[in-house]
Amino acid sequence: MRTRGARLEAVGLLTGWGEGVEALPADARVAAAGRGVIPLARPVLDGDRFRRATRECLLGVVAVEAMLRDAGIDRQAIRGSGTALVFVTAAAYGASNIAWLAAQAGTLHFPYTAPSVLPGEVAIEFGLTGPYVILIGGATATVDGIWQVGRMIAGGQCERALVLTVETFVECEMLWRRARWTLPGPLVETAACALVGPGDTPPAYRATAAAAPLELEVDRRVGRTLACAPLAGCALARAAASRTAVVSGTWRGRTAAVEVAIAQRPVRA
Amino acid sequence: MVVVAAGVATPIGLDLDAFWSGLLAGADGLSAIERFPTADLRVGRGGEIKKLPPVALGVRSRAAALLIAAAADLRARADVEAAADRIAVVVGTALGGVEELDHALAGDGRARRALDGLYDSPAHALAAWLGAQGPVLTVSSACASGATALGLGADLLRAGAADLVVAGGYDVLCRFVMRGFDALRSLARERVRPFDRRRTGLLLGEAAGLVLLAREPDARGPRLGRLLGHGSASDASHIAAPDAEGRGLESAIRAALAAGDIGVADLDFVSAHGTGTVLNDRIETAALRRVLGNRAGAVPVNSIKGALGHTMGAAAALEAIMCLLAGRDGWIPPTVGYEEPDPACDLDYVPGVCRAVRPRRMLSTSLGFGGCNAALVLEAAS
Repeated sequence: MRTRGARLEAVGLLTGWGEGVEALPADARVAAAGRGVIPLARPVLDGDRFRRATRECLLGVVAVEAMLRDAGIDRQAIRGSGTALVFVTAAAYGASNIAWLAAQAGTLHFPYTAPSVLPGEVAIEFGLTGPYVILIGGATATVDGIWQVGRMIAGGQCERALVLTVETFVECEMLWRRARWTLPGPLVETAACALVGPGDTPPAYRATAAAAPLELEVDRRVGRTLACAPLAGCALARAAASRTAVVSGTWRGRTAAVEVAIAQRPVRA
Repeated sequence: MVVVAAGVATPIGLDLDAFWSGLLAGADGLSAIERFPTADLRVGRGGEIKKLPPVALGVRSRAAALLIAAAADLRARADVEAAADRIAVVVGTALGGVEELDHALAGDGRARRALDGLYDSPAHALAAWLGAQGPVLTVSSACASGATALGLGADLLRAGAADLVVAGGYDVLCRFVMRGFDALRSLARERVRPFDRRRTGLLLGEAAGLVLLAREPDARGPRLGRLLGHGSASDASHIAAPDAEGRGLESAIRAALAAGDIGVADLDFVSAHGTGTVLNDRIETAALRRVLGNRAGAVPVNSIKGALGHTMGAAAALEAIMCLLAGRDGWIPPTVGYEEPDPACDLDYVPGVCRAVRPRRMLSTSLGFGGCNAALVLEAAS
């Protein structure tokens, strides 16, 4: 199936402040009260399959569940080869890498050091067997990812796509603290998932751009979330009932932006 | 999209010509690892580059050094000239700068060292070295990364987001990954034997492979060939083992063929992932057999991992380059280490010596941790 473009259908957002945009403070720096990292707790999920899964893998799973709640659909709606999965992170692999380097983890932990295992767990959990892309980088990579899924949908490679982002900082806080001149805090652990479906307009991509107002609002209200920032922006835009949004992201001195159409939230009784 | 030129740094050669002549000669790039201790590991061999080229000396991270060595080789073969903000870099890696993370944790307290540990740092070092200010993407779909990087690079060009793309893959051989594969008992104690009845596992290697991609009208002068299509798919079955039926790989291959708008009858050669593990080679053979159908026995299939080791993020990029060189020169490199047929692996694996065949259209397949599968369809320059 080919369509003219793509549309953001839903966003699940979990941050160290809580679930959804309703949990966000007016000013993240004030709310952080000097804390460097605002953590997300390890989710508790049923099933023996998750006994070895890392915290970041579980956060990926619950971010998709949050997206399903926002979309008002069940798991079956995204199952199969019609759904593409694009995962983006700057550093969610850091915790598992540090555990492996410090020899704190057993043999079976080694595969979890690969960034591809987090989306792998998500793919297994939700039965996602469509196109599969894993990007490493900050917010610009997520903007690239949103644009990519729009291209995939418009090109008929998939019917819908998930853009999943996870960032964790607690285990690597000592390293981030060294680089605080690069990333002024607070670092807010976040897991977010966007559902992108067919629409009328292709996402308009600008490979180099200036930061959009939404990016500044995310920075102010959420804090530093690296790859998750553009999806937090999508969540804010959707909560504000915007029909389109320019979502930008900045990382290592480069800013990219994408303009996306946004579906309205279903009216809940 | 046109593949204008390529550059490499590998254990069997530090430039494209040495790499290619080594592959054709059946060179063995696997040796005892010297750069870090391995005495506590079951296996201490791998495809280690013993001496980096001068251009890479002084680069802080070995991962970035490998990329820059390959980029210097690429730049010696083609002009990378466009407005800086129209040059993109897209590279794949399984390990990124993880060796620098090790150094940062071991007491090197410099902030820069900590940032070097991020997996996208080597790509940004490469972009800085090239003077590229367009999109910089790092793909990390484990050992399928290089294939997806080439595909995304082509997408950037197709969408007009860049005019030139330097795309490929890299990874370093370091203690982090050696210890992991050693613990998983995935490493061969003796030689790597892809598709052979006696195969017992893989050996790791380090390398970088890059290509310069351009749109047809912008590609001036000689070229290596074209990237016709790419495809990817998730297994959704296991985090560290391939799907038992190879369904994700089959989906990725069919997607790449569809994207390239070519049929199975058009394929002349397959560069397989061919790691030399019992499971991978059997599953990959079955998937290829299903896709190729009644042409399965007629299409040569090789693996170059017996010569280089499994170079992880670099593997798919090097294999794509190998395909295009085979089409250019009319020789398919042998599957080094393949000697005794396995009933479960019953394709034509190019045993012994290189074969005088000039493939025109080629398929390259890749798999990785996390259920990642990717495939490329390439065409030699006419």
